[in-house]
Amino acid sequence: MSRVLLAPLDPVHDIGLKMVARGLEQAGHETVLLPPDLTPEEIVSQALGQGAGTLLVSRTLGYGVAELLARFIDLADAAGLRAKTRIGIGGMAVRRELAAELGFDAGFGPGTSVEEVVCFVERREYAPDPTRTRKEKADMTAGYDYRYRHAGIAGKLETISAMIVDWAKVRTSPGVERARLRDELWDAARWRAREGNGEFPEHYPALCGEMPRRFYETGELHPKTRRFTKDEVAGLEGYLAEAKARMSVLKLQHSRKRPLVFNQYGTGCPFMDIGHILASEAWGADGVVHFDPSWGARTEGFLDGFLTHQEDGTVITPANLNRIGAGREKSTLWQVRAHRGLNTPETVVLAAKLGADLTKINICYGALGAGTDPERLTVDGYNAILYAKKYNLPFDVVTNEELAGVPAYKAFAGMLIVADLAVRLGARPILQPLFAYSPEVMIHGLMEDNYVDFNAAKVTALRGIVNAPIWPGAPIGFLTHTEDRVQSAMATALHACLAAALEVDAISIASTDEAYSGGPISAPAKVDTLRAVQESFRFLGQAGIAPTAAADTEAAKLVDGIEGVLAEVIKAGDFVAALHAGALGSREEGAYPGRAGKDTVRTVG
Amino acid sequence: MDKALERVMDALDVETFFVCGSEEAGRKYMLGLLKDFGFKDVDVVFAQYEGPGVRVRGRAYVYRPADRYRWLLGDAGGEAGV
Repeated sequence: MSRVLLAPLDPVHDIGLKMVARGLEQAGHETVLLPPDLTPEEIVSQALGQGAGTLLVSRTLGYGVAELLARFIDLADAAGLRAKTRIGIGGMAVRRELAAELGFDAGFGPGTSVEEVVCFVERREYAPDPTRTRKEKADMTAGYDYRYRHAGIAGKLETISAMIVDWAKVRTSPGVERARLRDELWDAARWRAREGNGEFPEHYPALCGEMPRRFYETGELHPKTRRFTKDEVAGLEGYLAEAKARMSVLKLQHSRKRPLVFNQYGTGCPFMDIGHILASEAWGADGVVHFDPSWGARTEGFLDGFLTHQEDGTVITPANLNRIGAGREKSTLWQVRAHRGLNTPETVVLAAKLGADLTKINICYGALGAGTDPERLTVDGYNAILYAKKYNLPFDVVTNEELAGVPAYKAFAGMLIVADLAVRLGARPILQPLFAYSPEVMIHGLMEDNYVDFNAAKVTALRGIVNAPIWPGAPIGFLTHTEDRVQSAMATALHACLAAALEVDAISIASTDEAYSGGPISAPAKVDTLRAVQESFRFLGQAGIAPTAAADTEAAKLVDGIEGVLAEVIKAGDFVAALHAGALGSREEGAYPGRAGKDTVRTVG
Repeated sequence: MDKALERVMDALDVETFFVCGSEEAGRKYMLGLLKDFGFKDVDVVFAQYEGPGVRVRGRAYVYRPADRYRWLLGDAGGEAGV
């Protein structure tokens, strides 16, 4: 125990000192708190008279602070105070470097914890609370049994799933065949050890489209893609080693455990992605999402090698995924999206073999909003789900209201069809409704008063249907953003608050560059939003957000609408035909059946 | 010590308030300013004009995807952006 004198070298402010005094008393020290507005001479005189082992001085106002503190420390020296008393200075105007320059024994700037000051008084080295930065991977699907709470919808989904299984199990596609090859013949350990992969290279190119096949036959790369050089790879290893040595991770959640926060990456370059992932992790992201390029989704087959691409979206190759996955923190959940293209089932297999924690599969969105032929994506999606089950990979099923303009009830019906199919096949789907200022919302004025009711209605409706994990994305705040960094961070933070209040399992957040299309999202733009979300979680704590009565009305409408759509799909008697007919999103609503992979499905058995 | 620019991961953002009469003028000032700094790959991310002037955020990409990043390579990184 020691005596500590606390003195505000300030006209009025002493809140920080009072907090420190409380912490010191709790730690068993005797404290003497002087009133504000004393002169330096009076403080030094009191310190000498009190016989304090430590003097803690605070200064909030910044004007002339360097001169004032220099004069104070000179005075303390001249009075002989330094011989017996250690002097620390803290407050909003204080910077550690300035305190050290002037000769103070310690400087405590903004963000200092009380524990840090207690350690100074007790001459202990300050070690931040390890539980603050210790994170563990969470299983978002734990605790959900996927039981239906709405019997009518459950019955209809059962009929539709049976319809899809009967249809898909006798069909195949080049994508399914490649996935089978990747599943049966490609071994990640052998590939990593450069031991070759048996018969895999002999069969794979024949199942690929022209560009990947040329790559395997002649080594020709996509024109905007190049291989990394040896010095770049060596540089990456050095960067990772240095960054990891000083790496720690923040927790964004304040007093709630949920939602987990995901940040999407996909600059085109795995190196820049790795840099962005490290920044996201350090500033608190619990998970990262691999965003693949559109040309990859429309090309039959993957390239191989460690490749960088000049445009948005990072090319999926085994080497790229391997490097990116290996660079992440152990606690970071890693999602590799597989949901919308011609490589859907193979992506699931490859991602699982390279250590991904989650994937993304959606037949309806990919077929109506992302350019893939409905027949093809139904076969590929069905097989992708089977691989997700085999490799124990949970996946989200995203809706498409943000881009295509499909009303939420139709998008949700499509999401629930895929989720139900997955549950019946033994997989673990996660529902991903969007929190978005979507075309439907704009056209029908659903958010004219607030952004709360309709988003809350989405979660309420889904919870009324089935006990399943919910992960609003992708990303929240999308289309509520502008190019303005401040506005974008705030919109995301408010959506995050709503997500926390609704106790969903996870959110994907936008970066503040999301609405700017002039180049890749930058690292500071990721940090901006993560910081904003952290502050919003701190602001909300265990408090809530109260939707108006309109939320319940909208939720009921959604549930009715979903059941109506499912009835229409059953009436069509064929899921693919229902997709073409617009039951899950019509052309008038901006949903266009895709053409990539058309006529590539064949019947087997 | 390394040159600061070699430690930039991707882009440099400059944000300020120009006293001028239109958003267009503010955008021109920002692009001119970034070019005066020596950057070639410049753009305006956001600009909002109200009565007294324009709040504007400009961006200079030091690196684009597939460039050779000097934060990885040091002197071996070569020229990029500037």
